[in-house]
Parts: sequence; structure tokens; C-alpha cells
Amino acid sequence: MALDIASVRRALPGRRIEYFETVDTTMRVAAAVGQPGTIVVANEQTAGQGRHGHVWHSAPDEGLYVSIVLGRTMAACDLPPATLALGLATAEAIARVTDLGCDLRWPNDVMLEERKAAGILVQAGDAVVAGIGINANHAVFPETLAGEATSLRLATGQEVSREELLFELIRASDAFLAMLRVAGKRAIFDQFMRRSSYARGRRVQVARGNEWTHGVTEGLDGAGFLVVRRDDGARETIYTGGVRALSA
Amino acid sequence: MTTDEIRELIQLVNESGIAELEVERAESRVRIRRTIQPERIEATVPYQPVAVANPAAPAPVAKAEADAAKLALVKSPIVGTFYECPSPGAPPFVAVGETVQPGKVLCIIESMKLMNEIEAEVAGVIESRLVANGQPVEYGEALFGIRPL
Repeated sequence: MALDIASVRRALPGRRIEYFETVDTTMRVAAAVGQPGTIVVANEQTAGQGRHGHVWHSAPDEGLYVSIVLGRTMAACDLPPATLALGLATAEAIARVTDLGCDLRWPNDVMLEERKAAGILVQAGDAVVAGIGINANHAVFPETLAGEATSLRLATGQEVSREELLFELIRASDAFLAMLRVAGKRAIFDQFMRRSSYARGRRVQVARGNEWTHGVTEGLDGAGFLVVRRDDGARETIYTGGVRALSA
Repeated sequence: MTTDEIRELIQLVNESGIAELEVERAESRVRIRRTIQPERIEATVPYQPVAVANPAAPAPVAKAEADAAKLALVKSPIVGTFYECPSPGAPPFVAVGETVQPGKVLCIIESMKLMNEIEAEVAGVIESRLVANGQPVEYGEALFGIRPL
């Protein structure tokens, strides 16, 4: 069923919410709108974006595909904390609607039982836009994703209201972005470390080009990057690579 | 910290659902801890966008002093990984020898999975590319040399 966007608009009077039954990607629309605070939502994306050209699986009626305009411009060093803040917001929104406790996998994955339930993407182009994809009511995933993805429906055994989820996501995003602005990056990093089992003391492997680094996580540094104590004893700061858990 | 600021922080703790928030400023420190789950807050908060800074050095162009012909260097505004193309297998944004105009995307620097498009600040000819695709780059590291037109 299509999203009942009217009910969300009624709950958030004055908020600009653009809705599409089908769109290529909400990221493109949000960047074109450019007005900070604008929400762009789609029932289906035909070219949903993941990181660096990856596709975000965006089947109709099942997921929640949202972009938020963060600002016209932002300092480059403010973008990573915004990603972490929105991961916290997504986990909080999911908790309010389902009572599920999500884990956060640095930097931008929201996890349930070691599988990805939501992802965050922040892009700076014509405007700074955050994309949030939540696997809400997927009953099955394509084979290529089945081992690493889950949905709120699969985790709870029942359908969730995407309207309620969207409403809570907007409110939680506003709150965590305000926290970043008022309390600063360190407050966001601190909250992330409290919430994420990946941030500290977790045995991980990190992709870097074609190499894998193995080690144990030691928290976030002052800029929000992940610090890993490698097996050879050296401390390494991870700037980019995908982090995957290893069994201890 | 003023009482208004502290009040705002308390409100944020409630709205975000977190258990505890500690904020340290140069002169003061405040810790806010929630002991009971508040009733769901039905009121909505006005949207307050993240502080918008000036476009922080989107590609600072420095003059290479040694180069009498004034080669403009495009430097990375952030620590990350350099990508020459929008997605794996796609053609590069620019090639050496190509003429570019201001605003032309030259490359992407990925930092914490954020894709930062780096644009040309000046019109000119790409004379050199200084880093390899997929290579980590430091803050301020030179990425391209452009000979201004």
C-alpha cells in the first residue's frame, strides 16, 4: 500500500514534506529543492543510492526512503558527525515504533541481530542532503542481500506503520541534529559509543582497498573516526573502509 | 553556560530519548541524566538545521610558488579516499589535458562513507593528477594541478 503521507503532514504542520509514489532517487530531488529541513519521501525508488555508486534496494510499499536537506553548505568536518547523529536518530525512531534495540555499525549502518536494517548516506553537492533508508516491511530480500539484510517486520514478526516510523524519524532527526548543533560533536560521538557495540572492544576487519586490517576497536577519535588496535599492535585510524565484525 | 542553554539541553535529552548527556565547555560542564522514561512528547519541535558554515575550503586553490607559470593546486579539504570516477567502472570525472570551468567536479573524496565532490575553482587545463584512484589522502594534500587560462 502507498504511504499515507497526508497523516504525516497533519502531524507535522508547517513542515515541507515532498512525496513521490515513484522517483529515481530522493537524494536528487532533495538536493534540487535545497531548502534546509525539507523532507523528501518516496514509496519506491528506481535508482536508490548507496555509497559510491552502490544501489540501495528500494522495493515499493516495503521500505522507507527518506532524504533530509541539512543545509545549503556545511563545513566538510561537520558531515561525518551528521552521519553519526542520524544513525542515532534512526535507531531511536525504530525503538519508539517497535521497541527493537538497534546496534550501530560505524559509520552509517543501523543493525538488528548483525544484519543491516537501515543505512545513512550524507552527500554534499548542490546542497547537503542526508538519505535514510529503512527496511520496514520487507518479507524477503533478493538473494544477494539475504545474508546481510533484515527488516523491522522480519525482526518483530509483524508489519510496522511506515507513517509512524516516518513521523518518529523526522522528530528524532531534528533532536539529534539540534544536539549536534547545541552540545557539539563530542556529545554525538559519546552517544554513538554508548549505543554501538562496534565502537569499542569489538573484533573487526576493515576493508582498505584490496587489503583487510584485523584488530579490535578502541572508540572514536576527536573527529569521529574509528580507532582500531591492529593485531600487530599498531593503532590505526579508519577513515573510510567498511567495518565487519569478526567472531572473537 | 546560561540557564537557557541548559534548558535547551534538557529538552534535547527528552526529545532524543537518550539516557545521559554530558557537555563540556571551556568554563563549565553539565551532565543531564534521565531517570524515568518520560511520556511521549506530542508537541513537535521546529526544525533547526545544523549550523551552516561557509563552504569550508571546498577546494582551496594554492599557488605553487616554485612554479613560475602559476600552476593552481586543487587540495583535499578532508581526510579520506580519492576516487576519480562517480562509481566503479565509470569513466573518470576529468582527464589530464582536459579544459575545465569553475564548478566542474574533478573527483570524489570519500570520508566516513561521505562522498565529497571536489570542484574546480578556476578555469584551466588539468595538467596533472597527483594521486591514484582509491588512494588515501590527507587534509590539504594536492590532488590536481590546473594551469589557469
